[in-house]
Amino acid sequence: MRDRIQEALKRSQADYTEIRIEEKETTRVVFRGKELETAGANIDKGGIVRCLIKDKGWGVATFNNLDDLLTKVDQAYQCAQVGSVPEPIELASVEPVEQVMTVEMGRDFRDISLAEKKALAERYNQILLGHSDKIIDTQAAYSDTFSRIILANSEGAYIEQEKPSVVIGAFAVARDGDNVQQAHESLSSIQGYEYVLDKDELARKAAQKAVELLTAKPVKAGQYPVVVDQMLAGVFIHEAFGHLSEADFVYENPKAREMMTMGRRFGKGLLNVFDDGSLPNLRGTTLYDDEGTPARRNWLIRDGELVGRLHSRQTAAKMGEKASGNARAINYRFAPIVRMTNTGIDNGDTSFEDMIKDIELGIYACDAYGGQTQLENFSFSSGYAYMIRDGKIAEMVKDVILSGNLFTTLENIDAIGNDFKWLNTGGGCGKGSQFPLPVGMGAPHIRIQNVVIGGE
Amino acid sequence: MDILTQLKKEAEQVEVLSLQNEKTTVEYEANQLKTCAVAETKGTAVRVIRNGQLGFSASTDETVINKLAANALESAAYGDKAPFSFPDPKPGPAVRTFDKAVADLPIARLVEMGKEILDLVLRVEPDARCNIGLERSIVTASIRNQKGLDVSFQTSPLSLGLEIDRIEGDDVLILYDQFGATVWDNDYLDFARNLVEKLKKARTITSIQPGKMPVLFAPTGTLALGLPLSQGLNGKEVYKGTSPIKDKIGEKLFDEKITIIDDGTIDGKFASASYDDEGVPRRRNVLVEKGVLKGFVYDLKTAAQSGVESTGNASRGLFNPPEPSFTNFVIQPGQTPLKDILSGIDEGIIVEDLLGIGQGNIISGAFSNPLALAFKIEKGEIVGRVKDLSIAGNIYDLLKNVAAVSKEAQWVYNTFYAPYILIPEMNVAGKG
Repeated sequence: MRDRIQEALKRSQADYTEIRIEEKETTRVVFRGKELETAGANIDKGGIVRCLIKDKGWGVATFNNLDDLLTKVDQAYQCAQVGSVPEPIELASVEPVEQVMTVEMGRDFRDISLAEKKALAERYNQILLGHSDKIIDTQAAYSDTFSRIILANSEGAYIEQEKPSVVIGAFAVARDGDNVQQAHESLSSIQGYEYVLDKDELARKAAQKAVELLTAKPVKAGQYPVVVDQMLAGVFIHEAFGHLSEADFVYENPKAREMMTMGRRFGKGLLNVFDDGSLPNLRGTTLYDDEGTPARRNWLIRDGELVGRLHSRQTAAKMGEKASGNARAINYRFAPIVRMTNTGIDNGDTSFEDMIKDIELGIYACDAYGGQTQLENFSFSSGYAYMIRDGKIAEMVKDVILSGNLFTTLENIDAIGNDFKWLNTGGGCGKGSQFPLPVGMGAPHIRIQNVVIGGE
Repeated sequence: MDILTQLKKEAEQVEVLSLQNEKTTVEYEANQLKTCAVAETKGTAVRVIRNGQLGFSASTDETVINKLAANALESAAYGDKAPFSFPDPKPGPAVRTFDKAVADLPIARLVEMGKEILDLVLRVEPDARCNIGLERSIVTASIRNQKGLDVSFQTSPLSLGLEIDRIEGDDVLILYDQFGATVWDNDYLDFARNLVEKLKKARTITSIQPGKMPVLFAPTGTLALGLPLSQGLNGKEVYKGTSPIKDKIGEKLFDEKITIIDDGTIDGKFASASYDDEGVPRRRNVLVEKGVLKGFVYDLKTAAQSGVESTGNASRGLFNPPEPSFTNFVIQPGQTPLKDILSGIDEGIIVEDLLGIGQGNIISGAFSNPLALAFKIEKGEIVGRVKDLSIAGNIYDLLKNVAAVSKEAQWVYNTFYAPYILIPEMNVAGKG
């Protein structure tokens, strides 16, 4: 394969040519209610050629048949030729790397039988179904993926990476008359099958929360001090801030570029936010991004100031900055675009007890249940929440929707916890049509003053 | 050895789908040509029923056919009991789905068509930012099973999408529409012209007092009514027990002006084909006739689970087993000319687009959406665009009493054919 790739790269007349080949095997077992929806394995193998003609643009060819790489290079080149751009496209320089890496899992899921994987999903499903007669619908899913990726370009880069992933998810719907509530838990690992074993607690928690929400009262709308758990904080910083740090969003949108000026205040001095694909064993971990740039720690907010962004080689060159290792594609069918890897709010020094002890009336919001952002305005649903009364966690409340302006909200963060945690959930990030891209999210508890909570 | 032959030795029922697709895409972003790409997909998906149990597997790696076969058999070993059988060969209707004129369009021509659309918009609205997607696929599919079923068909879907963003101070207007066909249509620019007309109309801004009023859904807005209905009419939701109309065949559920048809046999339309994705002939299914519920859409599995026949509505991508899905969703046009409908409205709104169609618990029939584009009707005239409004309702209530259904109808979003529908009264919420 390597020889054929080099031959194809040599043949290309483009200013820059890149070939990425991917071979992926996926096993999925999904139970829905009492039925098995699916249990089986799929194979997906294919490649992508990208050709850049600087004063015309990019041409892309993707394919399943790896036999005629030369024709694919021609096709991509022809696509680039019909383009036209207002100014020549440059790519930030990156030292071409030659590396072949393999992974070693603890228990390699490729050696585990489908029977065993089915039994695992079934076990978690039984826990969901059996938790309470109020549970009316469930989903328990197991999936594993093993990808081998080869990336090579006309600058001499040649990188082989192996990427394993295993995920379990438990979802429960509880009903009491017309009142229907749901809860969801998931766990992922890139280290081995053993990480999704013995996770009965995960299924139990999903079922339990769904049932508890049936008797939770809807929260009273208003402004409150809110303590946000690690899950909600991690999702919040990813959705409400992380995407704004992706340079391709910024340079195409004049309003966004204005908003994301370096040095601008984004919260008090205690706030630090980063994206780091080089940390080991997290969902968004990668040695190199899909252009061959090494992943690394990118500080985005330092001491409350905007200090960095996330780039592909093209956005970096366009904005006069360095490539940051954030060009990622979900699979071989797509060209890489700027994506996050593992994003987090850095650890602080306030304990959870200290965070809540002075709150007379507030809310402890947990888990994230989806949200929407439009530039600097956001709206998030928390999965479940509790009132804080006189410094203590009190009754559960539901339908807690946090909304507001990003800047105001970040400025109102007045305490950062000392209990940082990576979330290790399954699922992924969506952008354009590339969903779900595995990403890592982490944070400690954080306290935000004056949050507008929608509700009854 | 061919995989069908190989697996027939091991399982009592086998189905093999071979799918090949060459997709050429041209994208303009913010008025600039952004990408040109060609994507070629080739793969095989297999279903087997062995010892009565159903298995599935798919692969895009032609070099490991044995592994695909092994995966399918293993999936069956742990699969649930299959309630259905793969179908006998049955001739399907002749449906036009392939046009050489579309298949042969060179990428340069697609680039040119994108430029035509761009020029059309910028001539009228020079400050607009357009995102345009032009996509032409050549799809070849073949379905074979152990009963001797062997069908293959080719389609040439051409899809043009146009998003116009116009930002003027605080006013953000985003309009979208698309055109899709499998047969070349010389009027391919009409959808863009219509969108530009809407843009022109949207320049005049007016206001309306929120409250109860007649609401006229334009074809693009009717999707908000059609989408929850398409879920309620889906055999899978009926079988799961989640469709609100699951036990109501034969009942008059809607106004007699409402007739809903699922038609997979219309020449040149996006979702048309001679056969569905299990090789069952496609047909014209009348689901609601003059307000009376007649039936649902099914694939083989959901039909067998419900004790009925497949309606030829199996749909799938390469990596998933089939599920029932609407083909071309047709709300039959009515008797009343649009101008007569308008002249009967003293004060009301016409809804062209809603934000977030499909979000929420729409299986229950309920929808609640801000209006992305709506105009005020005053004494029969469309007098200007209204903003910051939202509507909500449940289609199972709203469609019981329909004031009028227009004679005029349009294809919108490729597979949806809708007239204008006048709901005599709805609560329109918002700022006064």
